[in-house]
Amino acid sequence: MATEKVRAEITGTVWKIVSQPGQQLAEEDTILIMESMKMEIPVIAPVKGTLASLLVKEGQEVSEGQDVAVIET
Amino acid sequence: MAFEKHVAEHERRKAHALAMGGAERLAKQKAQGRLNARERIERLFDAGTFLEIGMFARSDRREEWDRTPADGKVCGYGRIAGREAAVVSHDITVKSASSSPINVRKMGHMRRTALANGMPLVLLNESSGARIPDTMGAIGTGTLGQDPTQFVRMREIPYVSAVLGPAFGTACWFTQLSDFVAMRKDAQLAISSPRVTEIAIRQKIDPQELAGWRMQAEVVGKVDYGVDTDEEAIDLLKKFLSYLPSHHNETPPRAAVPAGADEGSRGLLELVPEDRAKVYDMRKVAAAICDPGSVFPLKDRFARTAFTALGRIDGQVVGILASNPMFKAGAMDPDSCDKATAFLVLCDSFNIPIVILVDTPGFLIGVEGERRKAPGKVINMMSALQMCSVPKFSIVMRKSYGQAYLNMGGTRNTDEMLAWYSADVGFMDPNVGVNVVYGVKREDDPKRFEELKQEIQRDSSAYDLAGIFSAVAVIDPRESRQWLARLLEVHQKRPTKGVGRHLMGGWPTTF
Repeated sequence: MATEKVRAEITGTVWKIVSQPGQQLAEEDTILIMESMKMEIPVIAPVKGTLASLLVKEGQEVSEGQDVAVIET
Repeated sequence: MAFEKHVAEHERRKAHALAMGGAERLAKQKAQGRLNARERIERLFDAGTFLEIGMFARSDRREEWDRTPADGKVCGYGRIAGREAAVVSHDITVKSASSSPINVRKMGHMRRTALANGMPLVLLNESSGARIPDTMGAIGTGTLGQDPTQFVRMREIPYVSAVLGPAFGTACWFTQLSDFVAMRKDAQLAISSPRVTEIAIRQKIDPQELAGWRMQAEVVGKVDYGVDTDEEAIDLLKKFLSYLPSHHNETPPRAAVPAGADEGSRGLLELVPEDRAKVYDMRKVAAAICDPGSVFPLKDRFARTAFTALGRIDGQVVGILASNPMFKAGAMDPDSCDKATAFLVLCDSFNIPIVILVDTPGFLIGVEGERRKAPGKVINMMSALQMCSVPKFSIVMRKSYGQAYLNMGGTRNTDEMLAWYSADVGFMDPNVGVNVVYGVKREDDPKRFEELKQEIQRDSSAYDLAGIFSAVAVIDPRESRQWLARLLEVHQKRPTKGVGRHLMGGWPTTF
């Protein structure tokens, strides 16, 4: 089974975790929501699959390009 | 029977050409779930309209005559939804559809005939690249390049490409020149194959990383769609062409207006959050404004802060260019600018009016952007917009700040700029502006920060924009579609009858 790393597109703070490990995701389902530039910006699944793990916690600061989750495809 | 021997010989030669690379190779192709070069043409054209050109062409090497039916590239004319088009369908079962002096001559004929007669050129790409040993040595390589216009692209006609297998060399070059590309997810698109590349640079290569569809669709931005089957790829080419004129001196074909076409825009107040901290998917806004089911996204996996799509309003084809707050809050980056520029060039070249939907905090600035030539890309996009001579309309929905306001059609950079009553226009995001202008940070003095923010936000409303007649109207979002439909009617009255000046026909957009 292949894995796909999900990266943050933008620097900011993890505001809310929306999906939990084990959950089935369709492409573009929201995994978590970041706060950046005073806005709530979703991090979405780039591919469909199972959310294998979350690599960040709510409140954590995240840099652009940082891995935030792993999807098993 | 008269000419009996001729008839028999003619039929034998035809059968030989139609047998392509032989039953074994065709069976292998089928077992892989792929159509062969001729089945692909059947899928492409209206039934019974294919007229083959160059069926009896073959390698110029005598010892290969019997092994090179059609010399590995099946060409001809046919109709797509009643409109003529030219096709080059690479036959992987014949010498891996490699490019040779003869089949390149065939390709040149198709290209020139399509150009001369104003019809799209369809390229069904699957080729290993240049043929060996034909192109070896000074004689082989020096024989290439007989057509000094082979790679000139003035966008007089649409080029569309499907990448259906390995596509190296000429197949890759013509894909780069194409206006639209659909690629099989198991195909490869690159200068050379992973094997040749590995040997040349002495490094292990991941074929997907070098030449895979996601690389092409998400990083490079050349491929519009990744698909699982040949049929899907070919159907997408036909769909793209349904939005385009056959050539640059025509306007795009009109379609019937579906029933209930006005209903979507009535839901716009629910699609766009009033709370400015919340984002939304601009693709849904485009779908609500356009005729139901008509929005056809282009490069949807690339540079997603910009959204580009063809669509129809009241049956008339339009190009939608938008910032998408769903990604990076809609802030434009260098790739978004490239994507927007390529789209503007496409629309202007083929007489497609442009609708710009704006909700952007501006350009993403920083060291990385400068390294990636952000200033040049910003101004490329701006130049392209100003050079567009098709009708251009913009709608400022929420935020539109700074230079991005101008790049997204602000003031006279579109023919008519509308503003939703929720529009907010200024030199930069007020939260950043307070610090820049007054040197006050929220965490140091929240009360003073709020006061100064109010000051900066003063005079930034839709009515202020209309008060100086930069916006021609302030509208309710639900009226967007009706406004655009009427403006399209007004701006189609031009004496040029909708055909633009095509100042960017020759602009390279592969960057």
